[in-house]
Amino acid sequence: MAEDLTIDPDWAWQPFTPSDSRQWDHVAAAHLYRRAGFGADIALLDGAARRSPRDVVDELVSLNLETSEFRSVADSLAQTLLAGGDPMKLSAAWVYRMLFTPAQLLEKTTLFWHGHFATGADKVKDASMMWRQNQLLRRHALGDFHALTQAIAKDPAMLIYLDSASNRKSHPNENFARELMELFCLGEGHYTEADVVELARCFTGWEIRNNRFRKNRYQHDDGEKSILGKRGVFDGEQAVEIVISKDDVPRFICRKLARYFIADELQWTDDLIDVPARTMRDHGLQIAPVLRQMLSSNLFYSAHARARKIKSPVELVIGMLRGLRGTTNSQRVAQGLRAIGQGLFYPPNVKGWDGGRAWINSSTVLGRANLFEQILSDGNTRFDGESLTQYLAGHDVHDAAEALDHFERCLMAVPINPANRQSLIAQFGSLGNDHEKAYRRLLHAVCSLPEFQLA
Amino acid sequence: MFDQPTNRRRFLYASGSTAFAIGIGSALPDCFAQAAESATSDGERILVVVQLSGGNDGLNTLIPYRDDAYRAARPTLAVPRSDVLTIDDDIGFHPSLRSIKDLLDGGQVAVVQGVGYENPNRSHFESMDIWHSCVRKDQRRTDGWIGRTLERFTSAEGGDVPALHLGGQQQPFALASQSIRVPTVKELDEFQIRGSDPAALRRLLGGSPSVAAVEASDDDLLGFLQSSTQNAISASRRVTEAAQGYQTEIDYPESQLGRQMRLVAQLINAGMKTRVYYLQLDGFDTHAQQDATHAILLRQWSDAVSALINDLTAQGHGDRVCVMTFSEFGRRVAENASAGTDHGAAGPMFLCGGGLHAGLIGTTPRLDDLQQGDLKHTVDFRSVYASVLKDWLGTDPDPVLAGHYDTLPLFAGA
Repeated sequence: MAEDLTIDPDWAWQPFTPSDSRQWDHVAAAHLYRRAGFGADIALLDGAARRSPRDVVDELVSLNLETSEFRSVADSLAQTLLAGGDPMKLSAAWVYRMLFTPAQLLEKTTLFWHGHFATGADKVKDASMMWRQNQLLRRHALGDFHALTQAIAKDPAMLIYLDSASNRKSHPNENFARELMELFCLGEGHYTEADVVELARCFTGWEIRNNRFRKNRYQHDDGEKSILGKRGVFDGEQAVEIVISKDDVPRFICRKLARYFIADELQWTDDLIDVPARTMRDHGLQIAPVLRQMLSSNLFYSAHARARKIKSPVELVIGMLRGLRGTTNSQRVAQGLRAIGQGLFYPPNVKGWDGGRAWINSSTVLGRANLFEQILSDGNTRFDGESLTQYLAGHDVHDAAEALDHFERCLMAVPINPANRQSLIAQFGSLGNDHEKAYRRLLHAVCSLPEFQLA
Repeated sequence: MFDQPTNRRRFLYASGSTAFAIGIGSALPDCFAQAAESATSDGERILVVVQLSGGNDGLNTLIPYRDDAYRAARPTLAVPRSDVLTIDDDIGFHPSLRSIKDLLDGGQVAVVQGVGYENPNRSHFESMDIWHSCVRKDQRRTDGWIGRTLERFTSAEGGDVPALHLGGQQQPFALASQSIRVPTVKELDEFQIRGSDPAALRRLLGGSPSVAAVEASDDDLLGFLQSSTQNAISASRRVTEAAQGYQTEIDYPESQLGRQMRLVAQLINAGMKTRVYYLQLDGFDTHAQQDATHAILLRQWSDAVSALINDLTAQGHGDRVCVMTFSEFGRRVAENASAGTDHGAAGPMFLCGGGLHAGLIGTTPRLDDLQQGDLKHTVDFRSVYASVLKDWLGTDPDPVLAGHYDTLPLFAGA
């Protein structure tokens, strides 16, 4: 494979400039929308292909806030679902957002932070707290990593998840302090056990009362601490700042962003990741400039990145729906995502989802196919408000072969392999009497193919 | 074509003929392609691994109940002496381990004390990776110790999937291998293709990989997806079939682990040649309010393991199954202010089954000689693995463990 070759970092992060050999077309645009968002329908792709890649990326990055109109609809749906108090229902509200948001990159990055600052509703239990954390992540998703980390350090759901709802000086709880360094900012191996113990002292007195963060000064250890080579009478905010200001932070975050947005299995060496890490540092740990650089880069549009990710469950299902302007029962999608390994608000543990090959095992392979079966056998699943047959006819699709072309164009990072195409045509070549049923079964089969799982 | 229940031999024949019909026999997963020839001998030994995820508090599992230092370190969490299920004059089990204690009294449990490794890492993820891969982070990790073990089995033994992971969690790295895909079964009911024409979809997905996939290198993502999909289709067929119509007198506990243990017994009884089953019980990261949580978790583990052992014993498989339980680390000796415990180091390991030297193995870690507030290990976990590999599974441990580790007197035949 290509990644055996060393990638020249200078080339990698230069802006991609279309040429005859490396075109900006609807295939490249589909790649961008699959990664920077959850996918795009044919009209959006055609429109993007007529603009420059820089314009399209700039637009994705600049939509760093939801429109107030969309926000009020999405929020009121969440509030309605919150009334039941069940975090699983809340998960459907997030599905709705992913399906309809005009600010795709914002939402995709919010999901990134949910996997990064992973917090599970199975332990927190309080749906409204999970909702507040979700809003917090969205507010800061493309913003400032300082502000995000300081905010998450005081977030009630996070503190309950990491057992720091009541942190007393007599015996500090180490859980949050450890994960702040190991999983949120620095990475394992960039701190010592003594740093964990000392850092934990800084957070003593932090607690959650009546579902709100507060400081209990009687429980704060105001002695001198020594953290990561610095010594002083630090409180929690200062402790967070000391951790964030370490040189390791931009590399740690950029490496994770690169894996999420560009490729699961590239060797993200220090040499390669240094350029975006510098961008992040030079911009005071702002996230948006890093993503703009990544999504506009030579590397992003190269063979190192194309089809070099395995779709997460969210990318898989929301991608299919967005690609065909599909709508369906959000509650079922939310439950289905959980069944195949990506329950929104239910990450597997504080490390979040590992992604890549870890998404795939025999249960999830069957589960992915079965979830599409459920969605597509439901008459309430519509495409641009119509039946699949009507939707396809509207795009001048009238038989199985044309349908396969359309699905490939909107949904797939690699073409359907010839043997599979042959089998599908053999089975669906004559659609029979019930076109709707046949098209849906064809789409179900396509979505279940190994090549469909690539992004 | 796969819609009628078939017996084992017919299934294998059917798999082979499907492949033949579309002319790609060589592309079937190895483990299935070889099955037809080597499907006869019964009685191979089986290892069931149970992973307690999150760091089990070993000190409140295997309790030094007479040690004053134990009580001093744990003013709220120390188990009252009268509740401890005593094993000898110093050591006893947590009261939730009644059924494991009964197994111990029946000669079916070996408890290895103070298991850990040098320079312990207190990150869940790094420590678990060490247990799974047997190497530290500074070395390249491409596979796990069970994955490497399976590679040594397949060419000689073939048969069913060599190992099976039961659970909804991500597959443990211990099972990772360069050449073998271990299936994961989350729920048996869901472990099959649904739809209006499942047979057609099975043919599409379980059948031909593209020419490109055959040529693709092992680590090519598409090749990985294709072989994973084929494996899933094959494993689904076999596991679903093997699990049909199981009868047992044993009451398994109504927990997820209990249901999974019941499935293990079903598959073993159905004559599956699978050598390793891997199960996980989560929730041991008890930083706060540990008492009740830990008691529930230990009871779930204890009752599920003992149900499996009792069932297999009753069905005549008791002497060829060993259940090995571990956790990525123990917890700190002193409790914290949230009535919980933070990440620690050494802890006990448990082996259950009919082939063991029962009782306590090794020396008890000392509470007056700690490292950074944690118990020091007295046995390297790889010595336990080495014993299981050599004396139970009958394979040379050194290549699997990438080094030599002395074995322990765990097994009766050794």
